[in-house]
Amino acid sequence: MSDTINFRLNGEAVRLTVPPLKRLVDILRDDLNLTGTKEGCGEGQCGACSVLVDGRLANSCLIPAALLAGRSIVTIEGYRNSARFDHLKACFEKAGALQCGFCTPGMILAAEALLCQNPKPTQADVRVALAGNLCRCTGYNMIVEAVLLAAREGGKLWSQPTGL
Amino acid sequence: MVTTYRPITLREALEIRSQARTILLAGGSDLMVRQRVWSGTIPQFSNPVVLISHLKELQEISLTENILQIGAGCTLAQIINDPGVPAYLKLPLSQMATPAIRNLGTIGGNICNSSPAGDTLPMLYALDARLTLQSKESARSVDIAEFITGPGHNSLQSDEILSQITVTLPGCSRYFYRKVGARQAMCISKLSFFGLADTLTEENDSLIRDVRIAFGAAAPTVIRSREAENLLKGRRCSRVPQLRGDILACYERLLSPLDDLRSSKEYRRTVALNLLDNFLTNDLQRSCVE
Amino acid sequence: MKDSENISKAIKRSDFDDKIEGRAQYCADLRYEEMLYAKTLRSEKARARIISVETPPLPAGYCIVDYHDIPGRNIVPIIYEDQPFLAQDRVNYIGEPILLVVGPDKQIILDLLSKIRVSYEELKPILDITQAERPQEEYIFENKPCFVEYAYGKGNIEKAIENSSFFIEDEFRTGYQEQAYLETQAMIAVYEEERLTVRGSMQCPFYLIDALTQALGWPKERIRVIQLPTGGGFGGKEDYPMLPAVHAALAALKTQRPVQLVLDRQEDIIGSTKRHPAIIRIRSYLDNQNNITGREIDIKTDAGAYAGLSSVVLQRMMFSVAGVYNVENLHVLAKAYATNKVVSGAFRGFGGPQAFFAIEMHMENIARKLNLDSLELKRKYFLRQGDTSSTGGLYQYEIKLAEITAKIDDLSGYSRKVNSPTAKNNSLYGLGCSVFYHGCGFTGSNEQDQIKAKVLLKKYRDNSVQIFVSSTEIGQGAQTTLRKIVAHTLEIPLEQVKQDYPDTDYCPDSGPTVASRTILIVGKLLHDCALKLKERWSEEETEICQEYQYPEDLSWDKDKFQGDAYHDYSWGANVLEVEIDPLTYAINILGIWAVYDIGTPIDEKIVRGQIEGGIVQGLGYGGLEVLTAEKGSLRQNNFAGYMIPTALDVPDIVSELVWNPNEKGPFGARGLGELALIGVAPALALAVQNALGRQVKQIPLTPEYIMELMQNV
Repeated sequence: MSDTINFRLNGEAVRLTVPPLKRLVDILRDDLNLTGTKEGCGEGQCGACSVLVDGRLANSCLIPAALLAGRSIVTIEGYRNSARFDHLKACFEKAGALQCGFCTPGMILAAEALLCQNPKPTQADVRVALAGNLCRCTGYNMIVEAVLLAAREGGKLWSQPTGL
Repeated sequence: MVTTYRPITLREALEIRSQARTILLAGGSDLMVRQRVWSGTIPQFSNPVVLISHLKELQEISLTENILQIGAGCTLAQIINDPGVPAYLKLPLSQMATPAIRNLGTIGGNICNSSPAGDTLPMLYALDARLTLQSKESARSVDIAEFITGPGHNSLQSDEILSQITVTLPGCSRYFYRKVGARQAMCISKLSFFGLADTLTEENDSLIRDVRIAFGAAAPTVIRSREAENLLKGRRCSRVPQLRGDILACYERLLSPLDDLRSSKEYRRTVALNLLDNFLTNDLQRSCVE
Repeated sequence: MKDSENISKAIKRSDFDDKIEGRAQYCADLRYEEMLYAKTLRSEKARARIISVETPPLPAGYCIVDYHDIPGRNIVPIIYEDQPFLAQDRVNYIGEPILLVVGPDKQIILDLLSKIRVSYEELKPILDITQAERPQEEYIFENKPCFVEYAYGKGNIEKAIENSSFFIEDEFRTGYQEQAYLETQAMIAVYEEERLTVRGSMQCPFYLIDALTQALGWPKERIRVIQLPTGGGFGGKEDYPMLPAVHAALAALKTQRPVQLVLDRQEDIIGSTKRHPAIIRIRSYLDNQNNITGREIDIKTDAGAYAGLSSVVLQRMMFSVAGVYNVENLHVLAKAYATNKVVSGAFRGFGGPQAFFAIEMHMENIARKLNLDSLELKRKYFLRQGDTSSTGGLYQYEIKLAEITAKIDDLSGYSRKVNSPTAKNNSLYGLGCSVFYHGCGFTGSNEQDQIKAKVLLKKYRDNSVQIFVSSTEIGQGAQTTLRKIVAHTLEIPLEQVKQDYPDTDYCPDSGPTVASRTILIVGKLLHDCALKLKERWSEEETEICQEYQYPEDLSWDKDKFQGDAYHDYSWGANVLEVEIDPLTYAINILGIWAVYDIGTPIDEKIVRGQIEGGIVQGLGYGGLEVLTAEKGSLRQNNFAGYMIPTALDVPDIVSELVWNPNEKGPFGARGLGELALIGVAPALALAVQNALGRQVKQIPLTPEYIMELMQNV
């Protein structure tokens, strides 16, 4: 019923024995007490559970444990220790891009996934990159501004690896 | 709880398939939702699950001459980012779901889902995609239109795995794709239209060498009318206005859209014909003056 | 320090670091030792008698909680006593809670739930307003079709009708709207030392105290409610949390263990309250000079299975429907119908969005019939200082509608664009302009009659000051703006002022976090309280309580609906510019402009966040958020079905404020939260109407509806 799975989580090797179809969001929240990853819908429709899988954005509610083998996962708990996070955080603050906060960890990781691939995005690029992360509070534009600001003032932050 | 297999190779996966009735789980973007019950519980599957999205054999993309081969386990994002894949093939994929889901969902998963609203399908139908269905002992190749037999139904046998999609890339001078949904991202299509044409510019006019037209979510399966395409092939673009009525009529006969949660049959029918008419008028007819 | 200027300058939110770092612990993030989970069994029938409930044998450690476990009264304390916490012998909507299964393992809970058999005797359900209007064998509520039926007016409508030359009439329909807060409803209850503590996601901690005392039959002293970080509310966490709070509490009491109850998204959508669908008919009477001399308005709302807050929503709707216009003679009839569907309730705007959609469309239709510019016609009837309101109250303060509309015209180029060749020749391009207000605080004298808010400030030895209020931080910035008000009043650094999430053991009841009242009412009380504290600043340690007093210059007759319907009003105008896709009939929004009078903005960044968030919810309401019921069952019951706007669905938004400090608000502030949502749907609908040259009669404006409008000549 349970398999042992090896993967990297926030830069560290993890070995877990869990049912192979257990969802990553439940592993993070229930087994590892990493509750910065939120569950808003459980259907891949809201993006609150977004994490990075091998550097790419993914919904942790859609990923079964067995698919984690050999992958590298980054959640907000790991990402918040990076210089890029500090910069994004400052830009989110400056732009007023946070209200209830429930979508925010996912939104931050969506911004990271974008800036990693495209350090100088247009406004349209940002909207596309955030399109899977619902926010009911802000109406998005202040978040879009925050990400554009992060790109504009980010210097070389996104041309270097985070080490995660 | 069901057994879950994580085979290391395709061969191993096929071995498992040959022995028991199983459910294939690729990117999970659809099945993990459908089988979900409650936050904090394991999704409930009725048969043993075989995970396949990690299999290297299913993740190759290759282009030889004009033959494009895409492994069924390729994610939508992987195909979108592949430099060898033509833009008209990427366009429908790049409008599917969300960036996060495009990183998980696979092209093979979308095909095997066989939803009338599957967004890879109209394009694949239009391109006469051939599917390689592998079993332990053999492999067969079928046309996508034969493979999908109805909404959510296809001819995948219990010992088979869809391993590869093969497309002979047509000449293409114009293409037009439109996904019609309730919002700009993250929605199941109410309707979709894929049109592609290869025109050869001659003096004052153009010759339609090839044309492909397909609709998604307009009938139980994707619709494509060879009859209509043949009416256009070999004609001059300037003739399109005269042919327009017949072409629209061909498709009108094939449209059998549904009333459902997302839209009405009247809307789907009307918009399908609008999009077709737009393709004929703005993409084909105008080719003659360029 | 010039407070009135300084206070507007944006500061860092109090809750910013915790939330952005993922450290804020929402209800579902908490784990207690020996914590149990609960899941609700809900009615699958729209209307039925429960004949029997058969339950399987329960393994050790599992239990079922149903109405038998309620030691007190099984009635939700809202306004009317008609709704049970858990269904007893009948159900009135699909999704109504019947019982809960509680235990340590979620999978076993699911297995037990699947083995419970409820036998129903189905009754004929009443599924919509039209059906509810017909005579019934058995009504849902008492012996009548409506929960409430109201009428009010001003002037002499009969005389106005008699003297009129003609009338212009419209009927409009609006749909449901789901709050779609990102965090679903969630509660944790803990029973310890003869006391129950409930923590969770909520707008109104003291509503839960009322609910828990009623259900448990306990004195207030034995119950404690603590708000946790809350992932959005928008009205959806005003009254509804009383149900999950009581459910979790009953389970904790029965098991003597902490119990967590977190609703799944689908349960949340089918079970929790929605914005009321409405049918509004307006008939305006005009004299032979084309002056609007009288107006008759008929409002019907679909209130769902229980009365909930429908009576007060209806009141706000019937006051709002007069719009920003002074028409001498008015008569409004309003009814909230009982139907066998999910309970309609509070949603940002609280009756305002439906009303302003109707009145703004109607005013433009009159202008069109009279061949007048719509803004010119509206200006002619704009409310002014000294005017009598529709309820006979006096508009005491300056109303800057002329300035607001001049400014929005300037910003958006509305008048120029409306008369441009593009607008005249392009049949699919249009603009719409709406003008609106929002009455801030509770309707009438309810701040006095029902709430009587109290606030408490404590000064400690280290010169820090702590705010004790029941106002909740639900994303709108209450923990930042209230601290600013106190710090600025005391003229001390912001860091010296503390405010925690409300805990009813320590906070007085300063009322619910609703009705755009947090700044206007609670903020003002804190301001007054801080002024007193300032005078006693030399005391080493002190605490001061401030209690709400109904202003002497206001009056309200709650039976006749006469007097001042609101303490104050905030004002606004929106312009939307759209084009319609000729192939798909989808609306492409080219621009959104917004101008408001909210008095003094308490924090410019928080204000902008409220404005843009409200506008985008309004866009969803008018445009893409479809929620329909079939045989009493909500069809769009998850986030794949119920679609709210994404980042790609929102254009740039240009907003500005006009400077008009409110003498009654703290630092001149008025209410804002709801205002920003209200005007969007009418501006959108007018833009579409003008683009198509066809009358829009309903929202949401789906492409399917737009196609129908274009095809029906």
